Amino acid sequence: MKKLSCYSGSFWLGLGATLLTAQLAMASGQSLLDKIKGATEPVDNTKIESAYTLTAKTVQAEETYQGGTFRVLARKDKITRYRCSVCHTDKKVLVKNGALYTHSDIAINHGKGQNKLECIQCHDEKNRDVLSDAAGTKIDFDHSYKLCGQCHFRQKRDWLGGAHGKRETYWAGERVIRNCTSCHNPHSPAFKTKMPETYSLPLDD
Amino acid sequence: MKDNKIDKSDPPENGRTRRSFLKGLSIAAAAGSAGLVTGGCTGEVASEEMGLKWEEYFKKNYRLMSQKEKDETVERLVKLAKIRVGVDIQMSNQAPINNVLYGYAFNISRCKGYMDCVEACVQENNLDRKSKTQYIRLFEMEPGKLDPSTGDGKYHHEVPVEDKFYMGVQCFHCENAPCIKACPTKATWREPDGIVVVDYDWCIGCRYCLAACPYWGRRFNWGEPQVPAEEINLKQHYLGNRMRMKGVMEKCTFCVQRTRQGKLPACANACPTGSRIFGNLLDPDSEIRFVLKTKKVFRFKEELGTDPKFWYFMD
Ligand code: HEC
Ligand code: HEC
Ligand code: HEC
Ligand code: HEC
Repeated sequence: MKKLSCYSGSFWLGLGATLLTAQLAMASGQSLLDKIKGATEPVDNTKIESAYTLTAKTVQAEETYQGGTFRVLARKDKITRYRCSVCHTDKKVLVKNGALYTHSDIAINHGKGQNKLECIQCHDEKNRDVLSDAAGTKIDFDHSYKLCGQCHFRQKRDWLGGAHGKRETYWAGERVIRNCTSCHNPHSPAFKTKMPETYSLPLDD
Repeated sequence: MKDNKIDKSDPPENGRTRRSFLKGLSIAAAAGSAGLVTGGCTGEVASEEMGLKWEEYFKKNYRLMSQKEKDETVERLVKLAKIRVGVDIQMSNQAPINNVLYGYAFNISRCKGYMDCVEACVQENNLDRKSKTQYIRLFEMEPGKLDPSTGDGKYHHEVPVEDKFYMGVQCFHCENAPCIKACPTKATWREPDGIVVVDYDWCIGCRYCLAACPYWGRRFNWGEPQVPAEEINLKQHYLGNRMRMKGVMEKCTFCVQRTRQGKLPACANACPTGSRIFGNLLDPDSEIRFVLKTKKVFRFKEELGTDPKFWYFMD
């Protein structure tokens, strides 16, 4: 249960206990599982033809996946205020348009309890066009997963393997996955509550 | 290979198709003779429709068709869609990809109950808007419970609700599917890539499969399915999202029209949280295999021996 330590509520504990019984019941139905275990030869997914192509901008990830390479969705083209150095030069920044300029729209809701993260834990103090980690290593905005992964090791490992995050459009072809910031706002990373997209009628059985 | 063999004996009388055919025939014949008198073009259209329907009525079970026959039925259905609904559909009969067995995993600790998946599925698969047919059902679940029948399948409020979790159920494409065994006309079967499909033209609407499925996987068309012409997804597959008729069974096909093109099913594609993981079970480097290898996974009603290709897991 140590993986679940951050949710110490009775909710997950109860769920875990039920899961254990479900696991025991799993002994049956070997045929499919044996078939899966027996498939050990890697499959060349890039050979699968498709009538469609991916339009989103991507970059080669600076990591490997199951020994191979993969791509992530690019971010710089999505960041409204990039390049930051348009304003953040050596000269003093002139504050004309208040809110937009001083980033008063950015509220940090990221960190443990009252210990909110500081801008410079992620952004480079001198060169605003890049991110920077605790060791001062500069990180490109397209590769922000490297930054997030330093504090969120388990999520990054799952993201690399494919259990956290998601592939973009295709299960086949060259692997393209979403960046951490495609899904999470780095300044306030929790998902929001909202109304569902639709609803269901009662089951008629 | 054993899976591909089917009984070649004649199927029982197809009551529904025969009835609607005879009805269509008399209308077409009347229109046809009117056409002869006036020399107008409605008669030609009607007789073309009649001819197409005639050939459709006497076609074989899809699994017994040669590639040429598959191409011909698709061509006829495209023409019929043009005549009846006035839309230009593109219909494929693309075969399974070699060395692929599709599998699905659902992360119950990640899903927020937003239902983007349900809506995307309705759009993609041309589901009946009138009866609000949905292949996917999301249940809002109490902590510790893992049986969807204890959950709320028709919630409508802001989600996620604290201390609840969400569990999606749809056709699990069982390797050992009870629905297939229940079908008296062999209108439903398992494709080599593991997708359980329905030939809507061979379904007689007896609903034995619906009763046999332990997972609420199947949906029956009590009425003629209705989709506004401008909302019809024109990219169709014979075994997938082509328009169904009154009196036939349908269900999730893992979006066969997308997945055989290398695309994710519409539900997995639409999910904003990454709770839905889809891929090739025979590829040791796939995401689905990573989940099976590294997570605690379980399947619903495992003890029934249906061998679903749909797993639940949590982080
Ligand atoms: C339109 C001009 C403008 C642009 C573009 C801009 N900034 Fe700023 N930024 C400012 C101003 C003005 C301030 C406040 C004065 C200062 O600290 O230099 C500021 C402050 C900051 C601070 C320090 C805030 C604090 O409370 O210490 C950070 C971090 C920052 N900006 C990051 C960025 C990043 C990253 C980008 C690019 C994605 C960016 N900025 C783009 C104008 C801009
Ligand atoms: C957890 C790390 C982290 C912290 C802390 C952080 N940022 Fe950021 N910030 C990022 C990342 C990563 C991006 C790029 C987001 C993306 O890919 O869209 C970003 C983007 C920005 C942008 C550009 C947003 C846009 O859409 O134009 C600004 C401006 C910015 N940060 C300012 C700040 C300021 C000011 C602070 C402190 C109050 C701060 N950030 C704190 C990681 C962080
Ligand atoms: C300097 C360390 C640090 C970095 C870098 C960092 N985080 Fe965090 N993050 C934290 C801490 C601390 C928490 C709070 C964890 C807790 O409550 O146990 C947190 C929490 C989170 C949460 C859970 C939020 C919630 O309220 O449920 C998410 C999601 C998250 N971070 C995403 C990211 C992403 C995406 C990035 C990269 C843009 C990132 N983090 C970078 C330290 C960091
Ligand atoms: C497909 C969208 C998606 C991507 C991509 C993604 N996440 Fe998440 N992540 C989620 C969702 C959904 C949650 C649950 C959020 C919540 O409860 O608010 C989550 C939760 C988290 C949490 C909170 C703890 C937990 O496990 O629930 C952290 C930390 C986190 N993500 C970090 C990351 C990092 C780091 C990356 C990139 C390496 C990343 N995420 C990529 C969707 C995503």
